Amino acid sequence: MFAKSIRYEYLATAIEIIASASIGFLLASIVLIVLGYDPIEAYAVLFRSALEDSHYVMARASFILLTGLAFSIPALAGLFNIGAEGQMYVGGLFALLATLYVPNPLVGILAGILGGVAYSAIAGLLRSYRNVNEVISTIMLNWISYYVVMYLILTRFANPMIPHMSRPVPELARLGDVGGVPVIFIISVAVAIIMYVVIYYTKIGYTIRACGLNVKAAQYAGIDPKKPTVLSVLIGGGMAGLAGALNVIGFTYAIDVLLSSMHGMGFDGIGVALLGRNHPIGIIFSAIFFSALIVGSHGLQMEMGIIRELADATIGIIIVALAIPYAYRMLVSYFRIRRMRVE
Amino acid sequence: MVKTIFFLKTSLSKTFFTSEQPLSGYVKGLMLSGKEPKVLMKNIVKIYPDGTVALRGVNLELMPGEVHALLGENGAGKTTLMRILYGEIKPTRGEIYVKGSKVSFRGPWDAIRQGIAMVYQHFTLVPTFTVLENLVLALHTVKGIRRSDVEAKVKELMRDIGLEVPLDAYVEDLPVGLQQRVEILKALLRECEVLILDEPTSVLTPIEVKELFRTIKRLKERGITVVFITHKLREVMAVADRVTVLRKGKVVATVNANEITERDLARMMVGREVFLVLNKVKRERGRPVLRLKDVWVRGERREWALQGINLVVHEGEILGVAGVAGNGQKELAEAIVGLRPVVKGKIEFMGKDVTNAPPTKIYSLGVAYIPDSRTVGLIHDFNVLENVVLDLVSIGKFLKNNLVIKWGEVKEHTLKAIKEFEMVVDSVKSPARYLSGGNQQKLILAREFMKSPKLIIAAEPTHGLDVAATEYVRKLLLKLRDEGKAVLLISTDLDEILQLSDRIAVIYEGKIVGELSPEEATEEKLGLLMGGVSVR
Amino acid sequence: MAELSTIADLIFIAFGAMVPITLAALGEIITERAGVVNIGLEGIMLISSLTAAIATYYTDNPYLGLLAGIATGLLIGFVHALISVKLKGNQIVSGIGINIFAYGIVVVALVYIWGNYGQSAPLSSIPRVGVGTYAVSPIFILTILLGIGLYFFLFRTTAGLKLRACGEDPRSAEAMGVKVELVRIIATTVGAAFSGLAGAYMSVDYIGQFTKEITSGRGFIALANVVFSNWNPLFALVGGFIFGFSDAVARYLEIILMMPGLSYLFKTIPYLTTLVIVGIFFKRARMPRALGKPYIKE
Repeated sequence: MFAKSIRYEYLATAIEIIASASIGFLLASIVLIVLGYDPIEAYAVLFRSALEDSHYVMARASFILLTGLAFSIPALAGLFNIGAEGQMYVGGLFALLATLYVPNPLVGILAGILGGVAYSAIAGLLRSYRNVNEVISTIMLNWISYYVVMYLILTRFANPMIPHMSRPVPELARLGDVGGVPVIFIISVAVAIIMYVVIYYTKIGYTIRACGLNVKAAQYAGIDPKKPTVLSVLIGGGMAGLAGALNVIGFTYAIDVLLSSMHGMGFDGIGVALLGRNHPIGIIFSAIFFSALIVGSHGLQMEMGIIRELADATIGIIIVALAIPYAYRMLVSYFRIRRMRVE
Repeated sequence: MVKTIFFLKTSLSKTFFTSEQPLSGYVKGLMLSGKEPKVLMKNIVKIYPDGTVALRGVNLELMPGEVHALLGENGAGKTTLMRILYGEIKPTRGEIYVKGSKVSFRGPWDAIRQGIAMVYQHFTLVPTFTVLENLVLALHTVKGIRRSDVEAKVKELMRDIGLEVPLDAYVEDLPVGLQQRVEILKALLRECEVLILDEPTSVLTPIEVKELFRTIKRLKERGITVVFITHKLREVMAVADRVTVLRKGKVVATVNANEITERDLARMMVGREVFLVLNKVKRERGRPVLRLKDVWVRGERREWALQGINLVVHEGEILGVAGVAGNGQKELAEAIVGLRPVVKGKIEFMGKDVTNAPPTKIYSLGVAYIPDSRTVGLIHDFNVLENVVLDLVSIGKFLKNNLVIKWGEVKEHTLKAIKEFEMVVDSVKSPARYLSGGNQQKLILAREFMKSPKLIIAAEPTHGLDVAATEYVRKLLLKLRDEGKAVLLISTDLDEILQLSDRIAVIYEGKIVGELSPEEATEEKLGLLMGGVSVR
Repeated sequence: MAELSTIADLIFIAFGAMVPITLAALGEIITERAGVVNIGLEGIMLISSLTAAIATYYTDNPYLGLLAGIATGLLIGFVHALISVKLKGNQIVSGIGINIFAYGIVVVALVYIWGNYGQSAPLSSIPRVGVGTYAVSPIFILTILLGIGLYFFLFRTTAGLKLRACGEDPRSAEAMGVKVELVRIIATTVGAAFSGLAGAYMSVDYIGQFTKEITSGRGFIALANVVFSNWNPLFALVGGFIFGFSDAVARYLEIILMMPGLSYLFKTIPYLTTLVIVGIFFKRARMPRALGKPYIKE
């Protein structure tokens, strides 16, 4: 059905994904063996726990799906947004504050998005005007927002009855489940689909992708790279902000002082994005996969005593393994082009 | 009605690889006086892995203390031959002898050890280092040498040769002429006996050129052999002792510079024996579509790439801009399309002033641009559909409410294009890099021509294409001209220029040095113009 | 006067605090001057901190701990080098992966070895050098020496010239006979060893035990220091001191003002300082021209 070249492309992508995941699981298995566990048994328990707690899997997937998009969309334009973590905290805070005053979930969502966009704009401005590399600026901003949000929760918005939590989100602003499926999951998937449409069916998505793939050719075609790149960063920020908002009004219904419910999800999002090959639909599945991995590891800890952070370490290995296929593809296309162009 | 145009070559021998050439009188004289050739290249053949034949059995001998020019057009093989001598490329067949003994170079390092040095068009200097640091780096393989030693040696060398460069200046701050001197000093520090200069004057101002020639004479006095790769006839006559003319990978002749005229060289360089121009339908050309008035444009290195260009292209006409690569062609196309700022002068399209208008404006007014390289004409990771609309999207076509891309329409458009332009495509969704070179070019052409443009700027439109694709593209350009479009054809391929153009303009060092009709364009005249000599 | 002695105290605290940031920055200067970017410094520091703690814990010898840290740095640096240089992989992604891996693996080790989620047991540490309360760690002195030494190496030796050439114009360097790939691999591996030492210092010397948050972003501050220093080791010493000083000020304010919660705001001082400084200096910084671009031989 599909033409040969397309089949080849799909095959190459599939190999990259499977190979990276396999390397991750392989190395994790080695660690398990060293620690004295049986990897096969561990993986069985892992997947069973995940399946049993599908609600939690979906909930968690919602956040990392959005932070995944937060990394992907700027990545498509050629920028590295590592600041999803910080943008998420700000979004969560904005959502909490907004709903405390106007108990409406939509308000919370919009506030969250706004917070994320505004915070990502800082890094964007630093890049445009001061040429500051976005990797450094977003990481600094991550830490700054981490502590500032913590401070605000502790000092101004603490729950008088539970000192390590913020004031709770009002009932009316909360999002629950629909037919056993968390609303936040539905929202996230919907957003991913919308992003898919935007990226592949609109002019702005087209220009973003063009600039990310070949800036010179884009310029020759008359595209000015400034607008798409800045816009991609703002969209990314909005995604992360939304992740924070959904976490606060749809999952924990409060922010705890250590930000533990949101902590780390910005970085997980990077793994999700890379495994999903920066494609919104791919990210949906990748998010579910990583979420299952993380949730399953909780169950694994309870049943077999294996530390759940091993799952995080595994994700790290998968990401490192994903650094290479980029190279393989780059080399293959480089040589293809050279061969076709007669010197 | 367009009749195809083709060449008739009345070449004498169809032999692919030449046999020994008769030695020129000069060499005979030297050999009688006991001087041996410093370098002897015998029967060098180079065939690239993809099948291109760059050299078809070339013989070259370099005598000590001579200035030897290698003359030829683009693609003649001059640079390839020298890169083989420098050890960068390995010959497919043939032998090299240095000072009488046979050598086989595994890389430039072997060549350097044998006393051969090469200065490229793109310098191999680290721009952010000082001159001295670059020279120290160049000598880093010499065991135990210290920075102070290098400094002393350099100063001594500069005194001897009479070449001065500021040792503590950063290379990137130096004018190009001085950078080239650093490269020459680098070669001399390595005690080279043969110095190869690849198109050295292409980046120099006239004054720097004079300096360079003076330097070359001094090197000659020291007994160093200088090989001078060029396409500029004037320079050959000014500085060379002997000239070897290459054409399409073969040596045409090796002659003494003082026994030949520029006209002879021009003819040898361009050398079309006979060609037939079959009836191109004589057309009345229409109104002017594109007009350049005294246009001045700067190039990448802030030099003047275009110096007061005046050009007019009319409806129903193909204006061919001929010239050796690097004389301003790229900058000309970019300036017209709005990708490069015009510092002085005006560009008018259909009577409207479009000087320095952004590319989107120019494209939407009806200009099609086929860039000289497919890496900027297409996005290789985009699929066929996405490439077909590359510049259309930016000007708002195929968009609903200027927001959503109507892929259905794009697909229809693409399928039409595939049929009309006879493209062979795996699938419209497959990435462009899977297409062959010819099909990629057709994709670009389809995209541009289906815009129904009024002016087409085609730069190197058949570069890298096979015979069938080449013929197709050229027929297509003629068809457009017959339909009343204006075509600005920029090409280093003289065959193409001669086949297609109604008028020919020759560009040299950013100026139009001559305009002629194809009938007037004899090999001699074209060679002279392209080599920078004005024709009365 | 109380203020003077406070400032002197702060300076000496800063000396201690600046070591990891400066060491890691020095190492990264080597790496980036050769043309490779390694943002996995945070992860390398963290894992090295762990291995140093493990080594010291089991052998009661802090010096072995330092060696373990250096060895860890060498190992991870070599992996990154292979991916970035040999396999022409995406250097940023590889660095991110190293960081995420580190965050996970150290907790696993913590629990497995010490049964504790947050921290290890206290470790024997390295004796201080100096006079009375104004004592510094010998690693601090080593850092200063390394900084000065690295400056001479990079700018006054031919070997340093070769390394810099790889980062500025690998094509020309290769044409002049420098084996660019080899140099880059060595530079990346050795540079990471510096971060390894930095990590080891933190658990064995500075804190005296290993906690999972021991690095708290110092690896990234080191990256900012690299840019701030304009890839010059001497300025990295200065930058390290500035960042270390802001760290010291943050902690001082925490103790002095003793308001809960406010301590969090003070914790942002080092990062804000970094951001502000980077914002001012990035535009003028001149990075190695070929940084981050894989070198593909024609």
